[in-house]
Amino acid sequence: MKRWGVTLIIAALAAGCLIGCKDKEEDTSSIVVVSPHPNGFIKPLIHEFENSTGIEVRMIECGTADAIDKVAEDDDVDIMWGGSVLTVGPFSDLFYQYETPNEKYFKDEYKASDIACTFFSDVPSVIIINNDMIGGKKIKGYADLLDSDLVGKIAFANPAKSSSSFEHLVNMLYAMGGGDPEKGWDYVGKFTKSLSGNLLDSSSMVYEGVANGRYAVGLTFEEAAVTMLKSDKHVSIIYMDEGVVSTPDGIYINKNSKKIDKCKKFVDFMTDRNTQIYIAQTLGRRSVRIDVEASGLVLPKNDINNITVDKKTVTENKDKWIAKFKDIYEEGIDG
Amino acid sequence: MGKEVRSFHENIKRIFMRFALLPVASIAAILLVMFVFLWNMFMVAGNRKDNTEISEKLSGIMDNYISMVDETAQIVAREGLSIEADDIYPIIYEKTAEYGDIGNYVLLSSDGSVIFSSKDYAPVFITGQEYLNWGVWRKIRDNEGITSVVLYEGNLCVTKGIYQNDKLFRAIVYIIPGEVISSAVGDKGRYVFVTDKNGWIYASNTKGLRDSFGQIRDELFAKTGYIRSGTTTYYSYMTDIPGKNLRVYTVNDVTGSIRIVIMLAAVIVVIFTAISIITVKSTEISSERLTKDIKKMADAFEEVQKGNLDVSLNISSSKEFQIIGNDFNEMLGGLKNQIEQNKELEHNAAFFQVKQLESQFNPHFLFNTLDNIRFMAKIDEKAADKMIVSLSGLLRYSIREIREEVTVREDLDNLQYYLNILQIRFNKRFSYSIDVSEDIMDCLIPKLLLQPLLENSVKYGFAGREKLNVKIKGYLLTGQLIFICDDDGAGMDEALLNEIKANLNEPANKSSHYGLYNINRRINLMYNGSAKLDIMGKKGEGTLIRITIPKKKG
Repeated sequence: MKRWGVTLIIAALAAGCLIGCKDKEEDTSSIVVVSPHPNGFIKPLIHEFENSTGIEVRMIECGTADAIDKVAEDDDVDIMWGGSVLTVGPFSDLFYQYETPNEKYFKDEYKASDIACTFFSDVPSVIIINNDMIGGKKIKGYADLLDSDLVGKIAFANPAKSSSSFEHLVNMLYAMGGGDPEKGWDYVGKFTKSLSGNLLDSSSMVYEGVANGRYAVGLTFEEAAVTMLKSDKHVSIIYMDEGVVSTPDGIYINKNSKKIDKCKKFVDFMTDRNTQIYIAQTLGRRSVRIDVEASGLVLPKNDINNITVDKKTVTENKDKWIAKFKDIYEEGIDG
Repeated sequence: MGKEVRSFHENIKRIFMRFALLPVASIAAILLVMFVFLWNMFMVAGNRKDNTEISEKLSGIMDNYISMVDETAQIVAREGLSIEADDIYPIIYEKTAEYGDIGNYVLLSSDGSVIFSSKDYAPVFITGQEYLNWGVWRKIRDNEGITSVVLYEGNLCVTKGIYQNDKLFRAIVYIIPGEVISSAVGDKGRYVFVTDKNGWIYASNTKGLRDSFGQIRDELFAKTGYIRSGTTTYYSYMTDIPGKNLRVYTVNDVTGSIRIVIMLAAVIVVIFTAISIITVKSTEISSERLTKDIKKMADAFEEVQKGNLDVSLNISSSKEFQIIGNDFNEMLGGLKNQIEQNKELEHNAAFFQVKQLESQFNPHFLFNTLDNIRFMAKIDEKAADKMIVSLSGLLRYSIREIREEVTVREDLDNLQYYLNILQIRFNKRFSYSIDVSEDIMDCLIPKLLLQPLLENSVKYGFAGREKLNVKIKGYLLTGQLIFICDDDGAGMDEALLNEIKANLNEPANKSSHYGLYNINRRINLMYNGSAKLDIMGKKGEGTLIRITIPKKKG
């Protein structure tokens, strides 16, 4: 009996020690980040983050909708990095409210609003054209896409699947409706006919399709177009004359994360001036900071016909608009 | 709890199992475990050896480059603004000569402008303005005055900042030629990865086991030991190269080996199962064959125990058992002879006893009859004459008849002499009837069976009575002969009846009731207990004596 007692005590001590050790180990464990950003965008930033902070990152690449699901389902997912504020806004409950010290350097429109999020970069919607395939046509905005020669040569992703496509839809509605989204559906109807049944499954298929010459023109986001440009593809970026909506994307911390401190470091790093300079200069994203200039590859903000959207209207109507687009698109095919 | 006694056959089988099957199984298991253990040991040892080799080699290379950067940094610090390429080239050449590639040694001012490059160009990640606080530059600034190693966009750089008056004055970035590290990785029989401490791969001999960013897979990151990834199992060993921001992973894909071990184990199990089945079967058969003679003996003994002595043991399988068998046969033969002799002796003894018993009636009867004749001779000569004739007939039958058994008819005929004597003696006081069925007349019964019954009736029946009637009956019932002597005489009181009954079963007669005792003893001796004598009766109501004997045809 005595022996058993001693064994039990030793076992209890060992178990306690193991549990204790495990708690300590927590500090060296990695954070899990889900991101809809392109691979080439993620890689240098994560490498630098790991190098400079020593915090290990485990990356999961997936679309915006998937990323939101993962945050909702899995408490081990600490951060959602990317995804436009328009898309993620409705899920604000999932996230932790954090104000980074860097926020004081942010442009006013990017200072955290009511959403639990830190703005990270600004992503205007743009048209990308393949210089070799466009056939000398001058594309200045949405209106030029209705040219009969372009039927079937336009790359556009399903707004239900791609957030950049949804943003383009919003952009179209506001720009072509002259500020009233309901008036923009006329254009959308004509536009879907020009697609001639080509609705792509992901945003990457749009810019890659144009860069590889499969399509002459595509509706995408600025950073992707810049990346294509930087990799010496024969493409041009067109900022729509009718108006450009730029939606900021953010960094969202899972409110159930067990590593909030590390998450804060991640947010601080990503909004740090050096990082924002790097993003702006080499990755084609527009910074949210006042003290960072945009890349020479993109048009300065002042030279763009910026239009603003009512975030509330957009988030409220998101599902409705996607459904309506689907109806119109299918009508276009049948007609 | 009592232990079950097993059969010899079972014991032999168990011995086979215990001393053949069990050791083989244990040895096979031990061999398999040893095989796995040794394989694991060699694999791990080989892996570690390679890892150590590469680590040491890399460490040496890195030390060399670091010392180069340190030495040149001293010159740069000493020379200050008047530094010239000629001041440092000798050191660079000296340190890199053995690798056949000078590498890109870049000396920069703190704003990123190139002062000197051994390859006459500098990559954008050290010259671009947006990189001045990024990547390599960040490392230089974070590690003030310390030579450090940084991996940036696939370039392994040794860097050092030279400070003057607490301000960054110059920076040295030496980009190590990729070939130098790849040749250190060499051509090993396993996967080798050289990564920075965050797992970003710099050099490797495989395209696999990395994620889409070029980091070593999470499963392998910073781990040593067995790692399972999907359906593949790896053994990975990791070493840090201290101070060089490098890690070396050596990874074995052990999936195939584990499969082989599992298959080997499966084959061994299958073979062993087969062997076991065969062994069990064959031991069953051979132990049965080997113990067949033992079984024979056991059976023979059992037979003997049951009383069957007509058994013999035929054993030819082994000498020892043959001796036992022959001795058994001899012994049993002797025993049988002995028993037979005993039987004969017993028979003879019984015969003599029967003869003696038979003859016992004579004196009493003779005494009574002669007394009667003496009396008759005075009152009735004729009757006396008849009595004498009857007595002599009876004596003749008794003496002359040497057969032990006679037919019922003969015995009845001779009983008539006795009845005649009684008839004369008691005249009208005595009456009798004989009712013996005709079908048993030729059956054999002991000589003078019925006479003692009549004698008994007369002896006790007349006590205080005027008349006595005796009925003699004989018939066949379920294969046995039944004789009844039923009188209506005075009968016997209970005490007497019990005394006679008890006396009947005594080995020697202790009372004066010779007649019944003798007849009972005789039939028991002659029929080996399958005959019996019953007495029933009540004081004042007469006596009934019944004899049951086996039927025997004459």
